[in-house]
Amino acid sequence: MKPYRADLHIHSLLSPCASLDMSPAEIIRHAVARGFDMIAVSDHNTTLHCELAVALGLEAGITVLRAAEVTSAEEVHSLVILPDGEATASFQEWLEQHYTFVPHDPKIFGEQLVIDRDENIIAEISHYLPAALTATLDEVEAAAHRLGALFIPAHIDRPSFSITSQLGFIPEDLYIDAIEVVGATPDLLYPVIRNSDAHIPEHIGRRFTSYMLGQPSFSELAMALRGEAGRDIIKSG
Amino acid sequence: MKVTDIVQKLGLTVFSGHEGLGREVTGGYSSDLLSDVMGHAGAGAAWVTIQTHRNVMAIASLRDLSAVVITNGEAPADDTMAQSNEEGIPILGTTLSTFELSGRLYSLMMKK
Repeated sequence: MKPYRADLHIHSLLSPCASLDMSPAEIIRHAVARGFDMIAVSDHNTTLHCELAVALGLEAGITVLRAAEVTSAEEVHSLVILPDGEATASFQEWLEQHYTFVPHDPKIFGEQLVIDRDENIIAEISHYLPAALTATLDEVEAAAHRLGALFIPAHIDRPSFSITSQLGFIPEDLYIDAIEVVGATPDLLYPVIRNSDAHIPEHIGRRFTSYMLGQPSFSELAMALRGEAGRDIIKSG
Repeated sequence: MKVTDIVQKLGLTVFSGHEGLGREVTGGYSSDLLSDVMGHAGAGAAWVTIQTHRNVMAIASLRDLSAVVITNGEAPADDTMAQSNEEGIPILGTTLSTFELSGRLYSLMMKK
């Protein structure tokens, strides 16, 4: 076992707020150059760039996990990190059943483009992806755990779109695997991780977490969050 | 003015917390950020919101609010209503938007 550096919250150019140079290939190039072992591509309410990123990661020798940053009906953002391609396809279907289809204006919010490995545009999403789903936070949590995914309320110490801003505090009975923070470690009994929430290449890895793992993989990460078999969160910065 | 008065005068639905219909309404607060309500709503206020999560009741109780009014025709979650019954703080409903309901509630309270 050894420490592995991970940044599990990175937006690709499919997120309207991310810059157009955040292609999966570019994200991976920056992550590898900065010495990362594992990343997750986590766009707003969509997983449509995950498979491409996983395939490119495999070639580049970096583990890419499939994820999404989900907006619940309460406008709480949570990271859902998925175990495999099959669960991701199911989760994508679930997301599509819960869209509110707010019309998207790329002039105001930015483009929402799906690209292929040659960076050709293969789709343009016409509704605003970050809009709140019809699903409540409890329903997001249930959908994630039904598929064996990790459910991690995002940037809980931010004044907007966080579980703290929207709901005042973390409901005690909500089953969460970890909390993501931006600033100081809060006085809470949950595993704490930090990620960049990068929307531009320069921000990839600006915050990260190191984990003690057998190898950089979804199942080892899940064990680390549970503190099982010597796997652990060792440092975040 | 009591909760039951605003129910009658504004044509609100009573979802739960019937025991608290005699509570005194001393003001109002309109917000969907629970962190904001936690910090700013005054005791006795009727809270106007579209949020239906169970944490709504924890904050209503913490701030000693008189009632919660859910707008836009939304309905509270079951566990939110259970909490409302336990706390004796009514959850009311309206198909009006937060803007319209807040305006009517404000006019009503300024009349007396």
